[in-house]
Amino acid sequence: MQQNPFLAILTRLGTFVLVMVVLSIMIFVLARVVPGDPARMALGPTATPEQVSALRTEMGLDDSLPVQYVSYMGRALQGDLGMSLLSQRPVTADLGQTVPATVELVLVAVIIMFAVAIPLGVMTAHFRDRWVDHVGRLFSLVGVTIPSFLFAISLQLLAARYFGDWPIIGRMDHGLGFAGGPTGLMLVDSLLAGRIDVFVSALQHLALPAVALSMAGIGQITRITRSAMLENRRKDHVLTLQSFGVPERVIIFRYLLKLSSIAPLTIMGLEFASLIGNAFVIEMVFSWGGFASYGLNAILQKDLNAVTAVVLVSGLFFIVANLIVDVLIAIIDPRMRRKEAR
Amino acid sequence: MAEVKMALDGANKDLSASYMMWYRFSRNPAAVIGTLIVLSAVIFAILAPYITPKPEDVGAVVNFRARHLPPDATHWFGTDKVGRDIFSRAVFGLRISLLLVIGVLGISVPIGTVLGLAAGYFGGWTERIITGLTNVMLAMPPLVMALAVSNLLEPTLMNAMIAITLLWWTWHARLIYAVSKSVASEDFIEAARIAGAGPMHILFREILPNCVSVISVKTTLDAAFVILFGATLSFLGFGVKPPTPDLGSMVADGRQFMPDFWWEVLCPGAVILYVTLGFNLLGDGLRDMFDMEG
Repeated sequence: MQQNPFLAILTRLGTFVLVMVVLSIMIFVLARVVPGDPARMALGPTATPEQVSALRTEMGLDDSLPVQYVSYMGRALQGDLGMSLLSQRPVTADLGQTVPATVELVLVAVIIMFAVAIPLGVMTAHFRDRWVDHVGRLFSLVGVTIPSFLFAISLQLLAARYFGDWPIIGRMDHGLGFAGGPTGLMLVDSLLAGRIDVFVSALQHLALPAVALSMAGIGQITRITRSAMLENRRKDHVLTLQSFGVPERVIIFRYLLKLSSIAPLTIMGLEFASLIGNAFVIEMVFSWGGFASYGLNAILQKDLNAVTAVVLVSGLFFIVANLIVDVLIAIIDPRMRRKEAR
Repeated sequence: MAEVKMALDGANKDLSASYMMWYRFSRNPAAVIGTLIVLSAVIFAILAPYITPKPEDVGAVVNFRARHLPPDATHWFGTDKVGRDIFSRAVFGLRISLLLVIGVLGISVPIGTVLGLAAGYFGGWTERIITGLTNVMLAMPPLVMALAVSNLLEPTLMNAMIAITLLWWTWHARLIYAVSKSVASEDFIEAARIAGAGPMHILFREILPNCVSVISVKTTLDAAFVILFGATLSFLGFGVKPPTPDLGSMVADGRQFMPDFWWEVLCPGAVILYVTLGFNLLGDGLRDMFDMEG
């Protein structure tokens, strides 16, 4: 089935747009049908009925749902997601402050994930049914089964017990007097400002939450890499390489690894939604103060504009991650460049 | 594993397929351990009022003289901030977790299966709509959606369950769709159609039996995920109302007293790990039994 690659990319982008539209309709309807009047909540219990109804008209709550949705999306596309009830500021301003912290955490977690899981998957496949395999499989099984909050708390416990002054909450040491920089990513900003002490502190703070966040993914990706390696090892062209006397090392690293990294990448894209979910837990345990903490708070306080924005941004995270995965797979797998179907 | 295969290849060629599957399952230590763990958890949950040392501690009991006791012979998991026996509460918490599994999977697995079967067999617009819908649903961050749904309605276990169920069927639909689509092009389906079988017969009598192995493995592994998911929700404060014990909220409660009274976090946590590990081992065992790849 030959297909125009340009068309394939368009279809893919179309799917993503559709995802965002359905997601936004769902959360929008959900946020409007909840019991409780947003105008009443915004004004507090002391407001008079006249004040409430005036605000209702001002917020457009008296219009029909489709009208409200269209005007909300119109404003959202121009970067106006409404006001947050909690912070009394535009939601976009809150997001601008909190999203970078989460991006930094998730990026580092993903790097740890692949740095640990791919070699582990390769090793367990290579030493199949030997002790390395058994230990590696047990490790990935625990990674998949342990609740991330339990793992996070255990890390804190161990750090508190054995490394007394290792930081277990927050993003950096406030005593250092670093106000942040243009990107919002502590690791980058500190280097831009030339503050090595801040960089080290940020790295220390980041280590435990990033490891905790990566654990579930490490388990998944190790398992998938292992089974992909084993499956591809039996393929004809690999057996041919072996019969020509190509060393095992070359087979693994030049041929098998490339072929076997497609499955874990695809899974990574799909699992990104649950990675964001786990970030909610990890950020809470480590008082990270990122986008997920903001979202959790918004949900708890029924801050509707903020909740809607948080769900939309989570969806956007998922889509961006999957676009990156698509590009990576296209780079790795030449077949995909010619016929991207599905 | 290797010796099992050899034994099977040798003398037992004429044994029935189901016996061979059972043989493979029973000789797999991981599968047996998983089965034992799951069985023990189920038995504990069912018999909770009769076998726990202090079933009355499930309610709003306060016994300040016994608060924060470390684990010992009478309190296996120690006691919590108001002196209740953590072991008794954890066993009752297990009940909630397993109820959640039954509720969520009991609804979402049949829905996902039927939609997946239909999408794979009928093709055309049915296929396009169902796969489109699953792709969209898979992009929703499950935890975020569940939190939003359950809290905007009201943070109860029932709402949390509804929220999880709404999202869960998609994974099954996706998986069954793949199997159903490949089976649908087999000759015996064509033969059934020529013999005059209706779509209901083909879907449920011809295609569904080929999906049983996939469904059972996926459902078993999913049980672990649902437990994890439910525990995470209640850890974040979106679960059952106190004082009803729930493993996730017990961990959350214990976290306030962390470095000193570690058992209040680690013991309920270990119970979660015990069950999820059991379901995972059992699922992997089933997968080996059906001789599936991946």
